[in-house]
Amino acid sequence: MKTYFNKVSRSDLEFFEKLLGSRNVSTSEEELVVNSIDAFQGDFYRADVVLWPETTEHVVEILRYADQHRIPVYPRGGGTGLTGTVPVYGGIVLSMLKMNKIVEVYEEDMQVTVEAGMIYEKLNKELEKYGLFFPPDPSSGSVCTIGGMVASNSSGLKAVKYGTTRDYVLGFELVFAGGRKMKLGSRTFKYSTGYDLARMMIGSQGTLGVFTEITLRLRKLPQDFKTALAFFPTVESAVKSICKIVRTGLDVAALEFVDEPLIKNISEYKKISFPESKAMVLVEAHGSARYVEDVLEGCCNIFRENDAVDIWITRDREEREFFWSARRSVYPVSLRHSRYLVISDLVVPISKLLEAVLKTYAIAEKYKIKASVIGHFGDGNIHVHWFLGDNRELLPIAHKANDELAEWVIDVGGAVSGEHGIGTEKKKFMKLQHGEAYDLMLQIKRLLDPKCILSPGVIFDVDEVIQ
Amino acid sequence: MTIEKHNGEYLDLLLQDVFKCVRCGFCNSVCPTSNISISYMGSRTSRGRIVILQAYFSNILNKPIESDEIQEAFDYCFGCRRCLDICPAGVKIPQIVWRVKSLKARKRLLHRFLFSNYGLLEKICSKMPKLSNTFLSSSLGKTMLERLYGIDRRVSFPKFYEVSLESWFRRRRFQNSGGRKLSYFVDVFTNYHEVDLGIEIVTTLEKLGYSISIPPQKEAGTILFEEGLIEEALKIARYNIENLYKSIVNGSVILTSSPAAYLALKKDYPEFLGDEKSRIVADNTFDVLELLLRDVEEGRVKLDSREGFKITYHHSCFTKASGLTKTIKRLLSYAEYDLKEVDQCCGIAGLWGMKKKHFDQAIEVGSGLFSELKNLAIPVTSQSETCRLQIRHNTGIDVKHPFQYISEIIEPRP
Repeated sequence: MKTYFNKVSRSDLEFFEKLLGSRNVSTSEEELVVNSIDAFQGDFYRADVVLWPETTEHVVEILRYADQHRIPVYPRGGGTGLTGTVPVYGGIVLSMLKMNKIVEVYEEDMQVTVEAGMIYEKLNKELEKYGLFFPPDPSSGSVCTIGGMVASNSSGLKAVKYGTTRDYVLGFELVFAGGRKMKLGSRTFKYSTGYDLARMMIGSQGTLGVFTEITLRLRKLPQDFKTALAFFPTVESAVKSICKIVRTGLDVAALEFVDEPLIKNISEYKKISFPESKAMVLVEAHGSARYVEDVLEGCCNIFRENDAVDIWITRDREEREFFWSARRSVYPVSLRHSRYLVISDLVVPISKLLEAVLKTYAIAEKYKIKASVIGHFGDGNIHVHWFLGDNRELLPIAHKANDELAEWVIDVGGAVSGEHGIGTEKKKFMKLQHGEAYDLMLQIKRLLDPKCILSPGVIFDVDEVIQ
Repeated sequence: MTIEKHNGEYLDLLLQDVFKCVRCGFCNSVCPTSNISISYMGSRTSRGRIVILQAYFSNILNKPIESDEIQEAFDYCFGCRRCLDICPAGVKIPQIVWRVKSLKARKRLLHRFLFSNYGLLEKICSKMPKLSNTFLSSSLGKTMLERLYGIDRRVSFPKFYEVSLESWFRRRRFQNSGGRKLSYFVDVFTNYHEVDLGIEIVTTLEKLGYSISIPPQKEAGTILFEEGLIEEALKIARYNIENLYKSIVNGSVILTSSPAAYLALKKDYPEFLGDEKSRIVADNTFDVLELLLRDVEEGRVKLDSREGFKITYHHSCFTKASGLTKTIKRLLSYAEYDLKEVDQCCGIAGLWGMKKKHFDQAIEVGSGLFSELKNLAIPVTSQSETCRLQIRHNTGIDVKHPFQYISEIIEPRP
């Protein structure tokens, strides 16, 4: 690896300790390793130091200093990323966990401004008092931070109705490499005022700037919600149902697909006896009690038309929570069955969903590995689980299979990431995904961070940024 | 990630479990000590501890596991077991922590001696309750507790009763010798510090037609597991299992009233010992509230209505871990109590919150709970003995075992 960067020296540490106080600077081995890995099943790296800024001014000073001294900076939220936004080049992990307050709730405007380190679920718990919520609902919501969500444009189970994080970010304060602080966006719902730079920053995974304060638009908490589970004799009938629900315009809040192997995993984990089936669809409706009934009835009619073998409708909040917690746990639960696992985050136009599932099975057969499909099918998002069991030797084969599927997805107009981001994991697809636009992205990166101080190795290879 | 390093039998046992963790962090969201002011440091969180081990086994972390710094990180786990319920990968985090702690604990001879004999020490103190109570609340007594067991001077050590439950049981005249047989696994706290609860349980159950015995037994040993003294805990476990198994062979089922005792018999002993006898004991162990619920639902016991009487039900960590929550709530609902639920850890965690090094953090863990209970200002019920102690000390509110709210309205059906 070429040496582009400097390691953190004793004098650098002295500067940081003077700036932040010694309690906000750590070089202890155990703290370094814990902050140098996320939920991506990749290799361990090790930062030189972990810093915890408490104010935007701290972030400004750190980025100014790091730029001057060519020290890499990796902003970090809850550390729940699934694509490896980790300190590949060492340097500083900038943990935002101490900037975790609500700055202001604008109840009348249905907006909130928070510091970047605020935990998603804690924010929503506070917002409950106002009858409001921030909807994206990533599976990691109990641990991930708002800054992390904005940095990876994350979303989750409810995106089919509510959209992704990007749809809720009105504006923010961010600090660029070199320490320049800027406010981007506004507090208005409509915005047609020159280039929309704010939207460009969302999903940049710490490569263009560090978010410090974020203003979000909010939604009113639904009066009621209800979930139904439908079981199908074939994958085809389940996917057809999903597509019809979307095309009919039924206002569903979640529309999830799970195939047979993962149904079995959930069933074993939660000790539920599901009916025998090849695929399951979970659907949820939000609104008034009457509205929820009507939407679910519409969905159930479609399920029946498509030969559903059974349909379950949740009776109360507890039962609903039970099934959704099971759904949220699918990825880690899979680890009970397969110590090594590769997971994808592909997204396709919904007309390609069935083909995508069948393509997955065909590729799995070709490479003689097990694969299972789950996903937020209402918005075309597919998470393939490639199961390797205890056999680590199969990892390259799983990656090859996943790459083949990803290339097919790009070819049919899809994308290699719907909600997890690129990180270090999916860099190899960037050129194929973006074509000429990739060069434009590189130019933007070079313009805003010429020394490639911010999250080097994430999204882009450093060699490409620094020429 | 490669696994190249291992270090003796204790760590070998950890390997499989440690790498099941995908670092989703769900455990952090429920871990009481991962949500306090120090938790901004990842190494002081539940997920962080597992990552430390993953890094160690992957040759990324070069410090020995028994080093003070690593042990300090693991000391923030007080074994509440809330993580067990939420971990989708099924990682047995508390057991991992006990094994890591054991690497250091087994080398600390005085610590080992003192903790493995705390049951005996309690027994000796209970023989001279007045003297023990006076001494333990004196400056000298507090110094001794601080030096030997690390207990903070601000802790009011729970008082010893005039007589232990076992002594009271042996000495009393009346004893119901007919009916369904129960062998009471009492555990230390009820035996010496909440004897009135134990007496109430024995006398009430006898009135309901049970025949009760107290077989030879030692403490449950939960504190020993949490201190990393696994071998010592298992020595006690084997003794308890042997005696309780005999009771079962003689036609009894095992009765508990403490969630720690229940968890030890139902989960810890069989998981660690893995033998037939401990499995049989586990299958035949019932909490007093489980028995009462069965009696109510099968029509043997009738409860008066307490409609309109407000109480707060505190979800103790061990009750949640033992799976008894539904049983207790159902039983209280038969009595028509107006129940408000509070699901927050009180921070005490047996001995952890009494220790000088954690005393303030324990209060920080429990602070949200204490404010909520003070705001509600109604009587509280909690199944855990140490939670009751902590809540009483920090709120001044009356806290009882759920059994006490039920026993006062029990009417045996003629």
